[in-house]
Amino acid sequence: MSLLIATTLDDALAALAAGARPIAGGTDLVVGARHGKAPLPASLVAIDRIESLRTVGRSADGGLVIGAGVSHHTIETDSTIGAEWSALADASALVGSPATRHVGTLGGNVMNGSPAMDTGAPLVVFGAEAELASGSGSRRVDMATLWVGPGRTSAAADELCVAIHLPARAPRSGSAYLRLEYRRAMEIAVVGAAASVTLTADGAVDSVRVALTAVAATIVEVTGLTGGSVADVAAAAEAAAADQATPISDLRASDRYRRHCIGVMARRAVEAAARRASGETIAIPVNRAVGIGMAAGAAS
Amino acid sequence: MTVTEPHPARPAPRFVRADGPDKVTGSGRYTADLSLTGVLAAKFRYADVSHARITRLDVSAARAMPGVMSVLTAADVPDVRFGPFVQDRTLFATDVVRFEGEIIAAVAATTAEIAQRAADAIVVEFEPLPVVTDLEASLATDAPLVHGDWADYGSAEVVVRDRNDASFSSITKGDAAAAMAGADVVVSSRYVADGCHAAPIEPRAVLAQWEGDKVTIWTSTQVPFDARAGVCETLKLPANRVRIIVPHLGGGFGGKCGFHYEAHIAALARAAKRPVRLVFSRREEFLAPDRRREGMIIDITTGMRTDGTIIARSGWIAIDNGAYTADAGFFSQLAAMHVAGPYRVPNVSIEAHLVYTNHQPSGSVRAPTAPQACWALESHTDELAKAVGLEPVAFRKLNAVDTGAEGPSGQTYDEIGLQQCIDAATANAGYGQELPDDEAIGVAIGWWPSFSVPSGAYVKIDGDGSGQIITGAQECGTGAVMTLRQLAADELGMAAEDFQLVYQDTSVAPYDMGATGSQTLFNNGRAVVNAAGQIAEQLRKLAADHLEASPDDIVLADGHASVAGTPTATVSIAELAGIASGGELLIGHGSGQPPGPPPLVGSTCVGDLGMAAFVAPQFSCHAVRVKLDRDTGVARVLAVSTAHDSGTIINELGALGQVEGGVLMGIGQALTEGTTYDDQGKQRNAAMLEYKLQTCADAPPINTHFVQIATPDAGPRGAKGLAEAPNVATAAAISNALAAIIGRPVRRLPMTAERVWETLNEEAAR
Ligand SMILES: Cc1cc2nc3c(=O)[nH]c(=O)nc-3n(C[C@H](O)[C@H](O)[C@H](O)COP(=O)(O)OP(=O)(O)OC[C@H]3O[C@@H](n4cnc5c(N)ncnc54)[C@H](O)[C@@H]3O)c2cc1C
Repeated sequence: MSLLIATTLDDALAALAAGARPIAGGTDLVVGARHGKAPLPASLVAIDRIESLRTVGRSADGGLVIGAGVSHHTIETDSTIGAEWSALADASALVGSPATRHVGTLGGNVMNGSPAMDTGAPLVVFGAEAELASGSGSRRVDMATLWVGPGRTSAAADELCVAIHLPARAPRSGSAYLRLEYRRAMEIAVVGAAASVTLTADGAVDSVRVALTAVAATIVEVTGLTGGSVADVAAAAEAAAADQATPISDLRASDRYRRHCIGVMARRAVEAAARRASGETIAIPVNRAVGIGMAAGAAS
Repeated sequence: MTVTEPHPARPAPRFVRADGPDKVTGSGRYTADLSLTGVLAAKFRYADVSHARITRLDVSAARAMPGVMSVLTAADVPDVRFGPFVQDRTLFATDVVRFEGEIIAAVAATTAEIAQRAADAIVVEFEPLPVVTDLEASLATDAPLVHGDWADYGSAEVVVRDRNDASFSSITKGDAAAAMAGADVVVSSRYVADGCHAAPIEPRAVLAQWEGDKVTIWTSTQVPFDARAGVCETLKLPANRVRIIVPHLGGGFGGKCGFHYEAHIAALARAAKRPVRLVFSRREEFLAPDRRREGMIIDITTGMRTDGTIIARSGWIAIDNGAYTADAGFFSQLAAMHVAGPYRVPNVSIEAHLVYTNHQPSGSVRAPTAPQACWALESHTDELAKAVGLEPVAFRKLNAVDTGAEGPSGQTYDEIGLQQCIDAATANAGYGQELPDDEAIGVAIGWWPSFSVPSGAYVKIDGDGSGQIITGAQECGTGAVMTLRQLAADELGMAAEDFQLVYQDTSVAPYDMGATGSQTLFNNGRAVVNAAGQIAEQLRKLAADHLEASPDDIVLADGHASVAGTPTATVSIAELAGIASGGELLIGHGSGQPPGPPPLVGSTCVGDLGMAAFVAPQFSCHAVRVKLDRDTGVARVLAVSTAHDSGTIINELGALGQVEGGVLMGIGQALTEGTTYDDQGKQRNAAMLEYKLQTCADAPPINTHFVQIATPDAGPRGAKGLAEAPNVATAAAISNALAAIIGRPVRRLPMTAERVWETLNEEAAR
């Protein structure tokens, strides 16, 4: 087995071209290998010391560029992300434990491609793109085309995800990500839903996007949602999510229960996103404020 | 009878445990940390099927692999069937395998990877046998037998067995059928609990080394003397050639009681002529040991008068024994007692069956049978209260036992604090306050015996005045052994810090039953007090000579021996120790007579394994505030209030830790833990990812009150046990909170979000 610790992007890309697999935090790759999911690749290139991958910055159009090596901890505590791309902060704040969040990265979460990944649904509702680089250049792909199945992406073996690009937020927008969880740490999403809502000046929903976690082979976006009153849109999201989900039965839940709960998560995500869009502050992660895993003494 | 007065005026002391710094700084050593020159790694080959006849077993390929130093099967060890209640077990599978974690062969090799490859290379062929997983079906007369030769097995004389029923027990008092027929209100309920796991943080490890014909085994056991007895029995060795040493133990929760892999590893080391070490993976920790918490089916019927007075109770209990009986023989009687409950019930008829299945064997996990039985009984009790229109706490106050009352098995209690526990726990929980309609406070009461057994210790004081306690007791994390320093110190007028503990070595200390049955402080405390008392006597004589006074007038306090009433006539204990080192040494040995069982009047018990009479019974009440997300069924415990009568509290800090840990374990059993099986009896969630323990982030605030009253025939200073009692009532209280919110109980344990949601939907559909 060989391990190269890259300190520049070029070194990393050269290693990939030579057949190495990237390892960022290792919280999927190494833990999976220990559990017999897949053996560790024979050749690895560590990318966690490449500084350029670890930055968060505004893009010229007011959007955000998050380096692939940025940790969940950075995302959950970044004030810009918390204020404007709240759903992503909601998601990163739920990952594993403090240890997992300090080591695990956004790029690793996205490229690992699990249908239960928490950052996936928020990225979809933001219309995010992944920037993939290789020795022969770079390209940007829409999240929906990045994931092609459980654990599979459309990236070529020599492509590294270097950043996630988030478009600028429209005025009067808010977002939220919720997941169903049975305990408050070290949990994997049973189901989850992200919503991004833009309100009209009089407080109705102008536009809405909803995406779902752990109810299909990849993260899926709910289709057919239109504007209307917050209550109507939330109810429509609940019905559409339950309808469009194709959940499985496994140890964590039956398909029936998942189908019901994905509707609940979608409705609550829309409601919380609308509250945030109207200027209300709901602490990160929103899960603690709206029922699931609620803190002692929190308001219902 | 001896009545020991507690010290009501003195607040319970709070001291930091002696092994704490080692453990939190990482300087403490656990079994898996140890190594020896030339040590080999062990791996087991498991059955991986739940019930089958072995038609071919070929280890030749494994034996021939380079680096493999020994491979053992049943053919290589003495042909011994063992088991504390029913001798139904062998070290290695002989003819038939009865659960997936049964060991077929063991391998020792130069590395763990080679050992694993060799274990995989062993050829085993099976002829499948019918798999028994359903408790009721297993009891049917035409059910396939888990042990075809059950009738030929040896067993403890009192164990009542019949085919797949490995231990039947009943409690009969009065005439339950007649009383039930005459009752004004009768309520029947069925509750079904899944099995679950102890899940200690340290997976099991064993390291064995032979020198000549003597073997030393370092092992992560809760019961070193029991482990020694198992090695001696199965490998046919005398006790004085087997030495068991337990380094720090990384938790056990009962899961590490009993004799497990010490003999396998000792046999491998003997065959390989090198030390051998076994370290379990987390998956093995889930699948292989005969110590998981038992699944149960519980039927209860109670007859009452219209005023809510209970006049009769009948019950039927089936307990999943799994494939082998391990230490579960007494579970049927213990479960029957917990379904009877700490109530005044004049007419009782309860039957309990310990049922063989092709599941992993059950064994003592923290308060075996009690959390499930208490969950069923106390959920049923709230149904009773509702049926007669009484408020649940008032119903319990009316029917629960109290000082001088007769319990369900015919035991009349001396001074006990159950009623005080109910008052304190509910008051501290703010029971009765207005709550949002998705919240409720559920209340449950529980009990648990103290175990009175033999135990021994030595105490010595060396020439410099420093002391050592050499005890057979085992510290499994509860802190019970840590309190021994305080007991010795108080006896001798010294400070706890003046003593070091020498423990967990069977060749150094006298016998103790181990960290099981909440018995350590109760029995070993008595031994240490006795041993220290002998030294106190020696010191008084030495001081009397030195100070020219009568030994009766010597007071030992603050590290000095002084003449009562003449504080200037004083000598330090260190100085007396120096004098003693030139003459008769300061050595004490203690054991003391364990208190006998209290009498039972008017009841008969079939399959009586000594659990119908509770020595120094402990009582508890838990009041738990729960919030339910009605849309998803996810319940969250907001706050827990407990009150415990465990007699005198010797170290409040340690005692609070026990209660808090027990409560958290109870929340896990109530809501998120629980083993699920496939239709072949194999565990589906044998991993931490899918077996959901509670985390620190889930821990609610826990308020604890100790009801400390004089306890006859208890342990030192009137202390009872405390390790298991806090685990009894939490799940039951959570159940009652959920039932109060939903309007009916969730009849399956764990009460997972999905099961709660299903219960909510049934309600909506009605
Ligand atoms: C205890 C625990 C709890 C967890 N809880 C959660 C949770 O709640 N929610 C959740 O979503 N996940 C959870 N995870 C999974 C994991 O922590 C996250 O997916 C994390 O974001 C992975 O990041 P990483 O840097 O550790 O990835 P790695 O393990 O380093 O890599 C994961 C995969 O992505 C590839 N990869 C990594 N970086 C790049 C890149 N820049 N370009 C191309 N490919 C790349 C690797 O080759 C590998 O295939 C948990 C894991 C553990 C161990």
